[in-house]
Amino acid sequence: MTTTLNELRTDALREISNIGLGGAVTALSDLTGVLFTLEAPQVHQMDTRTLSELCWMAPESLVVGTVSRVNGDWPGEGAFLFPWESACVLWQILVQMQPSGLDDLNELYQSVINEVSNIMLGNYLQAISQMTGFTLHMEPPAFAADMAMAVLSSILVEALYGQRELLAIETAFKTPEHEFKGYFLYLPETGNLEKLFGVLGI
Amino acid sequence: MGKAEVKLAGMGEIVFARGAGVLGCIGLGSCVGTVLFDPRAQAAALAHVMLPEAQEGDAAVQPGKYATTALPALLRILDTPPAFASRLKAILIGGGELFQNRSQALRIGERNVETLQRLLREARIEVVFEHIRGSSGRSFELDVATGLIRVRAVGSNFVEKDLSAALGILRRAA
Repeated sequence: MTTTLNELRTDALREISNIGLGGAVTALSDLTGVLFTLEAPQVHQMDTRTLSELCWMAPESLVVGTVSRVNGDWPGEGAFLFPWESACVLWQILVQMQPSGLDDLNELYQSVINEVSNIMLGNYLQAISQMTGFTLHMEPPAFAADMAMAVLSSILVEALYGQRELLAIETAFKTPEHEFKGYFLYLPETGNLEKLFGVLGI
Repeated sequence: MGKAEVKLAGMGEIVFARGAGVLGCIGLGSCVGTVLFDPRAQAAALAHVMLPEAQEGDAAVQPGKYATTALPALLRILDTPPAFASRLKAILIGGGELFQNRSQALRIGERNVETLQRLLREARIEVVFEHIRGSSGRSFELDVATGLIRVRAVGSNFVEKDLSAALGILRRAA
């Protein structure tokens, strides 16, 4: 392991994510008119052996996901994953219809998920930027709908590229009003963590 | 096949079977399930390859993770000297690009496939079956005793093929 993550630093990453996702979930609630709540963020410091353990869903179940590259002072990848049924909840709320299946997943449905990701990740980064003074830019999200394990592993492998280890900050959000669960992952470049800890004074 | 226990190769792992057994991977995205089959020993080894090239210092830890280290590791497991590699048969599954329109795409699926195909060509190992590239994720199972391969993707996409002749699997008395 090249990064030293003691308890204090893990706590700090969790707290940063909590603040960031707090902003993101509020934005989602504003957009949908539905109250969303956060679960406690978890920080996973992983090597390849443990990557598969990050798959919270049945590995072959259908999920809808996005991934966006983040550049600036805390670079990495931000990703959202929605089990198919949860994506359908978002589609019903936001466009009052849902695709009958994967073949029916047209550009409109994709742009809804991309927009949700855009708004949430944008607010996440803004909250972190306000706290740290960091400059952060995100690129438009890329979209996929496929087996959970295939989508997740594609995200993780790309984030792992050029790094020895992978750090994943994972948060789930849900709403009491619907059968819904969404997952957010931030995968920071581990070589750039010192800057964050420096700003936080730890 | 269904009920037989499948030896699954997780990300970066290698699994092996001789004579009987089912090898497979679940949820391959940009990763490539890479099988080498030795007709003489009726044995197969499978690596769940994640990235094309090894990074310094990491290859020894998990050779199955990289294309460049996985093939030598599979030869070692099959106990095949590199000079005799051409008697082996290969199967490649995966290497898809699930995320379309990425602005800074690393094209890892494509690069995994290209690297593995080049290394197999250089070792003169014939690829007898491949289900690669495209934009979908895949799972597969290979029955080492019968040569039956099953590839699953989301939706109704399902491929089943008898590779016994291509792999040189010996016929057993009925």
